[in-house]
Amino acid sequence: MAKAFRASAGIMLAPAVTLIGVFVLVPMLLTVWLSFQDWSTQTPFSEANFVGLGNFQEIFGATSVGRDFKAALFNTAIYTALSVILILPLSVVLGLMVYQRDVAGGTALRTVLFSTYMVPMIAVALVWSKLYSPSEGPFNQLLGLIGISPQPWLSSPRSALVSIVLLNVWQQVGYFTVLAIAGLTQIPGSLYEAATLDGANRREQFRFITLPLLRRTLLFSAVIAIINAVQVFEPVALITQGGPVGSTNVLTYHIRRVGIERAQGGLGSAMAVMLMLSLIVCVSALFAFVNRKDSE
Amino acid sequence: MSLAWLSKLTVAAGLVALPATGWAQSVNISYLTHWSPETVALLEAAAKDFSKQNPDVAITVRAVPFGDLLTTLRSQGGSSDGPTIGGIYDLWLPELAKDKLVAPAPEAVAGEVKSAWPAGVVSAASVGGTLYGIPNEIDVYALNYNKELFKAAGISAPPRTWAEFKDAAAKLTDKDKGQQGFGMINSWAAGVVHPFASLLVSNGGNLVKDGKPALDSSQAGETFALYEDLIKSGASNPAMATADANTTGPFLDNFVSGKTGMIIMANWWESALKTGMGDKFANVATAPIPVGPSGDKPHSISYSWMTVVNAKAGAAEQKAAWQFLAWLNSPKSGRNGASAMSDILMSMGILPSRTSDIEAHKDKLGSEFLSGYVSVLADARPFPVVLGGQEFSESLQQTLEALQYGQVSAKDAQANAEADATSILERAAK
Repeated sequence: MAKAFRASAGIMLAPAVTLIGVFVLVPMLLTVWLSFQDWSTQTPFSEANFVGLGNFQEIFGATSVGRDFKAALFNTAIYTALSVILILPLSVVLGLMVYQRDVAGGTALRTVLFSTYMVPMIAVALVWSKLYSPSEGPFNQLLGLIGISPQPWLSSPRSALVSIVLLNVWQQVGYFTVLAIAGLTQIPGSLYEAATLDGANRREQFRFITLPLLRRTLLFSAVIAIINAVQVFEPVALITQGGPVGSTNVLTYHIRRVGIERAQGGLGSAMAVMLMLSLIVCVSALFAFVNRKDSE
Repeated sequence: MSLAWLSKLTVAAGLVALPATGWAQSVNISYLTHWSPETVALLEAAAKDFSKQNPDVAITVRAVPFGDLLTTLRSQGGSSDGPTIGGIYDLWLPELAKDKLVAPAPEAVAGEVKSAWPAGVVSAASVGGTLYGIPNEIDVYALNYNKELFKAAGISAPPRTWAEFKDAAAKLTDKDKGQQGFGMINSWAAGVVHPFASLLVSNGGNLVKDGKPALDSSQAGETFALYEDLIKSGASNPAMATADANTTGPFLDNFVSGKTGMIIMANWWESALKTGMGDKFANVATAPIPVGPSGDKPHSISYSWMTVVNAKAGAAEQKAAWQFLAWLNSPKSGRNGASAMSDILMSMGILPSRTSDIEAHKDKLGSEFLSGYVSVLADARPFPVVLGGQEFSESLQQTLEALQYGQVSAKDAQANAEADATSILERAAK
């Protein structure tokens, strides 16, 4: 009986497992295999030459290849960290504001917040590149009204990456606010009533009820925010092309330049493998941290 | 001849004629370019004219931003469904030819090109003696300056030497007005590297000599130091220098709005300047590149563009593509003995490279703006077309931008640029 059940389960699972295998696992394994080869993306796989760890040595080496890769990895890490640090607290604050039933226009506010997520990136890029314009940009004009000197925004290596992060936060925060609201709806109202009876104020209720019970939602949001941030490509390709001085050259954009524009498929694959490993380490560390907190 | 034989012959003749008439297959070819919508409309009109004479050939034109052109060619050019024709920058040719993405020109086309274009332009469209594309435009760099700002600063003539250049840049700088003397460019490889290379060759140096980087020369050291001086003195402000994927952005905005006194730029910029400046375009003048302390006379950097055919396209598509390109670049397709391609190029202020086209457009090439470019063409040095050239260019861009933002000294920038170039060109040559 159990054997028959296992066989039928296997048959039922086979189509999905085959599809995942062909479209997810095979490309991933192929990328790993290519990372050990010297291969031009314009030639067949049969022309790839095994170079062992040569590509990895090169991307961590002292030449321009290594320097550019390490800088792109660093930029991606900074972009990801800043995005997550800004998006998560903002989404909780906005979620709390929108979730308050006694606030008029909550639904309208929720729609407005989510609408930024639906705007195509090309439109966002066009508008934001003008908003950031150092000479005629509205941001600098607004700063001028309150006596702050014009900022270079995208024109300086010091502020360009942060400017791209702000654009990302603006676009994504609505989506994460909706996730936070979904988490808030799962918290039983009776807990707040009991806390109020016990004399807990709003701040204490937030610290000892809302935040701990939002942990799972925040974990999910953090994982999605990290994955989205690591994959950033469009604003860089559309607005800065990785400049100035490579300050916005993030890994996905750099891999595209190396792997497609320069056709250095082996090097590009080695970079993609490192990006994948970094992502796995980050997400695993996050899960381990939250699980440890849960056990405590 | 009997009636039966006559009818058999008629049927046979009909069968022979059928493939050429009723059974003729239409050929669809596509043309990938980075031109603006206005210029694409001119190319589409020319393609329509060609299709009138060749009803079996249908041509579609597709445009992508300059920053995406090479990637599109690389990612789609490897398939038979990719663009049949592509407009490419000569620096990309060696690697596209090595990867067999572009087809060698048929003998008849190669013969025509070799006889009708200057030898230097033909060599830039060839790899190992094989011609791969039909050259169309040639671009050269010169100093552009704003006559109104020069007058206001009390400068009577464009600078001829680096000393005069630095002096003019200082006089034109007015921080209170947000005005810079000399505008550098960043975030765009060619925009960063070509003006630097033009100053370098005007100082007697080279980027690459005999296939090896020559950035460790004293002439290169002086050029890096010139950039450092301009930045340190405040005569050039890197925050006003950013370009976007369409090679426009703040650097262009600052020049057209009269906040930049001088810039080193190519002739194709004419259309962007006219669009941005309107009547004030009359304020723009052109002069040769100022000569450095180690230079003999003004030189500048030139480069060319060509149209190539996808080597993976079907035989019929390749044949139709070469037929269209040969027509588009021939004196039969344009006005007054010019080619249709040269008419399109001249609409953007771009110099055509076919000898007969230069003659046909003599009047317009004599305009105040373009004549300055035509005059420096004879002493221009072609940008080195070598394997790994694009990566070399992007690496030098990074170094120059680091120098612009004060992240490295001129001395370190020179050492980094030479070391990077050596490793890139050596790896590419393997």
